[in-house]
Amino acid sequence: MPIKILAGSSQHQLYKVITWSLFALLVAGVAFAYVDVGSISLGENNYNISLIRLNKAIAFAIAILGLQVVAGFTGQLALGQSFFFGMGAYASAWLMADHDWPFLLTFIVVVPLCFVIGIVMGLPALRIQGLYLALVTLGFAAVFPAIVKLDRLFSITNGVGGKATGPDGRKYKLEPPEWLPLDGIAETLQKIPLLGGYFGDGGISSKQEERMWAFMMFTLIAVVCFWMVANLIKSRQGRAMRAVRDNPTGAAVSGIDLARTKAMSFGIASALGGVGGAVYVAEVGLASPDDFTQLLAINFIVGLVVGGVGTLSGAVVGGLVIALVPDWASSTQEVGFLPERWLQGPTGSLILGLLLILLTFFLPGGIVSAARTLKNKIVRIIPRGPNGEVPGGASLATPVTADDTPDEPDSPVDELVGAVD
Amino acid sequence: MQLFVQRLFDALANGSTYALVAVALVLIFKATTLVNFAQGELAMLGAFVTLVLAYEQGIPMWLAVFLAMIILGVFAAGVERVLIRPFDPADHLPLVIITLGLFLGINAMAGIVWRFDPRSFPELFPSGNAFTWGSASLRWYTVFTVLTVLVTIGLLQLLLNKTKIGLAFRAVSSNLESSELVGIRVGPTLQFGWALAAAVGTLGAAVYVADPFRQLEPSIMLRVLIFAVSAAALGGLDSLWGALAGGIAIGAIQSLVVPYVPFIPNELGLAAAVVVLMLVLLVRPAGLFGTPAVSRV
Amino acid sequence: MSPMLEVKDLRGGYGLVKVLHGLDFHVNESEVVVILGANGAGKTTTLRAISGMIQTTGSVKLAGEEINSAKPADIVRKGVAHVPQGRGTFPELSVEDNLTVGAYARKDNEVQADMDKWYEIYPVLFERRTQTAGSLSGGEQQMLAVARALMSRPELVLLDEPSLGLAPLIVEDLFERFAEINKKSGTTLLVVEQNAQLALGIADRAYVLEAGTIAIEGDAADLIDDDTIRKVYLGI
Repeated sequence: MPIKILAGSSQHQLYKVITWSLFALLVAGVAFAYVDVGSISLGENNYNISLIRLNKAIAFAIAILGLQVVAGFTGQLALGQSFFFGMGAYASAWLMADHDWPFLLTFIVVVPLCFVIGIVMGLPALRIQGLYLALVTLGFAAVFPAIVKLDRLFSITNGVGGKATGPDGRKYKLEPPEWLPLDGIAETLQKIPLLGGYFGDGGISSKQEERMWAFMMFTLIAVVCFWMVANLIKSRQGRAMRAVRDNPTGAAVSGIDLARTKAMSFGIASALGGVGGAVYVAEVGLASPDDFTQLLAINFIVGLVVGGVGTLSGAVVGGLVIALVPDWASSTQEVGFLPERWLQGPTGSLILGLLLILLTFFLPGGIVSAARTLKNKIVRIIPRGPNGEVPGGASLATPVTADDTPDEPDSPVDELVGAVD
Repeated sequence: MQLFVQRLFDALANGSTYALVAVALVLIFKATTLVNFAQGELAMLGAFVTLVLAYEQGIPMWLAVFLAMIILGVFAAGVERVLIRPFDPADHLPLVIITLGLFLGINAMAGIVWRFDPRSFPELFPSGNAFTWGSASLRWYTVFTVLTVLVTIGLLQLLLNKTKIGLAFRAVSSNLESSELVGIRVGPTLQFGWALAAAVGTLGAAVYVADPFRQLEPSIMLRVLIFAVSAAALGGLDSLWGALAGGIAIGAIQSLVVPYVPFIPNELGLAAAVVVLMLVLLVRPAGLFGTPAVSRV
Repeated sequence: MSPMLEVKDLRGGYGLVKVLHGLDFHVNESEVVVILGANGAGKTTTLRAISGMIQTTGSVKLAGEEINSAKPADIVRKGVAHVPQGRGTFPELSVEDNLTVGAYARKDNEVQADMDKWYEIYPVLFERRTQTAGSLSGGEQQMLAVARALMSRPELVLLDEPSLGLAPLIVEDLFERFAEINKKSGTTLLVVEQNAQLALGIADRAYVLEAGTIAIEGDAADLIDDDTIRKVYLGI
């Protein structure tokens, strides 16, 4: 029997506080534990989960969140997310390297830029529908590398060589602020009996400090993005989007401005793509044209599907999958019966492709829907009626059917195992 | 002038190969209104099978191409049966996702089996020039490529219009439900469409890499697919001759328009194709030669 | 001898929506039977169940042979033709191809002869044999749909609201044709109709379908004379 918690009750508040605190602790714990080369060993193989990988996963998750908005919630097959991911990466790198802007400040350019270009490129979608839109947007994704390699843009993009985030081709340094004694915290953590070993030993180098700070900052950016999208989905605008997805004609005759709703969703999705790209380039330190091809766009679609179309938490799962699976596949040296040759090629892509097909067959709702079922066995939030009335005892005992209105993202746990339809 | 003529010839050669892959896309789209994103990868696989048959088994080149077409046809029929048929044909998203999964999977498999180093592909057509005019020359490759496309589309038209299976195929693409009601077995008919498309795509890839200036490697068809998709969509996605016209148009944009318009840099042939595709769809959402979907309310 | 078509306890519908709640009826050989009923009573669903287009439970026997689990393509080969609601022609195919595809399940050499026969019955189809079916008028499309269905040389024809959307004169002509087909070749007809007067005019027997069950059954002549039935169910 699951624990039942009534929405809005004091237990519910406590539940939220506890889960959010656990989430913050987890982030901090991961930051300290995996700053260098945290790894999991399976047989002869070591799987790296250092912060470098996790930071990429965060960047991908934000981009996939954008896909969720446009494809998952508004039902528009605008699949060229890598275009905006690349644009955000280049814009941010250019501002940091050539204009000495601090990383966070670049968002005031990246977000509006991608938003506007997303709307402009989405305008055709008001006439082009379904598969044709998928074709055009994937086409644009394929074209992006050619655009940034243009001679005319060389002074901004640095052509084939790629654009570094710092001056003279170096990487922009994300220095942690003075007031955050990461070194001291690490030492304290190391003193914890039993668990202390996970946090390494000795002091933290400035490089490690940078990496930790980046991870915390990226997590914060991601939390802000997810929080805003969660609120968007609940808002009037979000309802309009879902109406457009489920029944465009019905939405139009109910007074929803189809063009405006679609354009907004393109803009928001593209802006999120840009934010993801900026995070990515801050982590990698170099925006290189061939990182942003249609293959990346397809990887984002994999992330969308694997996590679960139309779920916010699915974006997190998707980001982790597309960041870690190819990497882990290439670091696998030995798997019992498989010939070595099979592990030395694009094994990651093969796994992603298979994953896409298998999930479509066996788990159409993605990993999130499975996790959600599991979570409902442990804790269940009972929603109140429209006027705040408490459901009767009988209904508390019966399973709550999922309705189309997304619940409030009560806590990161709900976020992760699915609060939103 | 001679340069212009030379580019015209290039446009013909490129355009015809795009048209072959576009025809493959059209065959599947006609029957199922589905764009098979894995079509280019199936074609690439076909080119590798050709190479294996020709080099490792010593089979004559054209016979190898023919056998590869059959092998890929059988493979695609299997793919249709196992991965496509279980899904509702009217619900596009799962099908698009499946074909994208196939795209990734086949591309990666080819990379694992054959690696990414380019391999030279034997010539299918006589080398040298059929015709020279100053600096412009029409290669035999171009002549035969155009002929191959014309013959292929001609044969397909015959197949579709004069045979029983062709009639069934056209019936299924016109009205799925009534097709069942006249006794057509819809599943096998669509499977036949997949097989046919894979065979034609294989021919397209073989002809494309048979150009002595090109080599075969697993990502060869990524660009071609974009051009072919643009060509097919320009032609309306459901018309074979439209695919040819679209292919030639895209080839012409790539080698004629782009070099002559000063503000479009050369590298943007791909971008120009995508932009043209978008503009055409804006003006005519069903493409230039497509049948506009008529819905009676 | 078992009837041409015998339906027992037919239940089913679309997904969770159950439309049929246990139908029992039969059609004898060479009979014209009409099923009447309001919108949503389950008339179309009944025909779709017989021709195998939807999954149902219960028994559907064609000349004594169970066909309820058979596929549409096999049911056609057993001699059932179905003219679906809204014509069901192939709009992109020419008139001639529509007729040819109607004989898809046949394996004899008389397809051309049959086609000529239909061109004689409906000369307008001959005139337009190279035009696409989508370019025909509603009446012409219905003629084509009927001709196409009969091209399979069926023993039982299911007609789904043939009068829908057609001018009264065309409808009358169409029903005369149905009666003629039935008389000449002995083809059994099962017609679903809202135009009760016309349908009862050519029918031997009739069933009235109400909310997925048979509410009334009887001879067509009796039903047309019964005042209560006329008022309540037939609106004439």
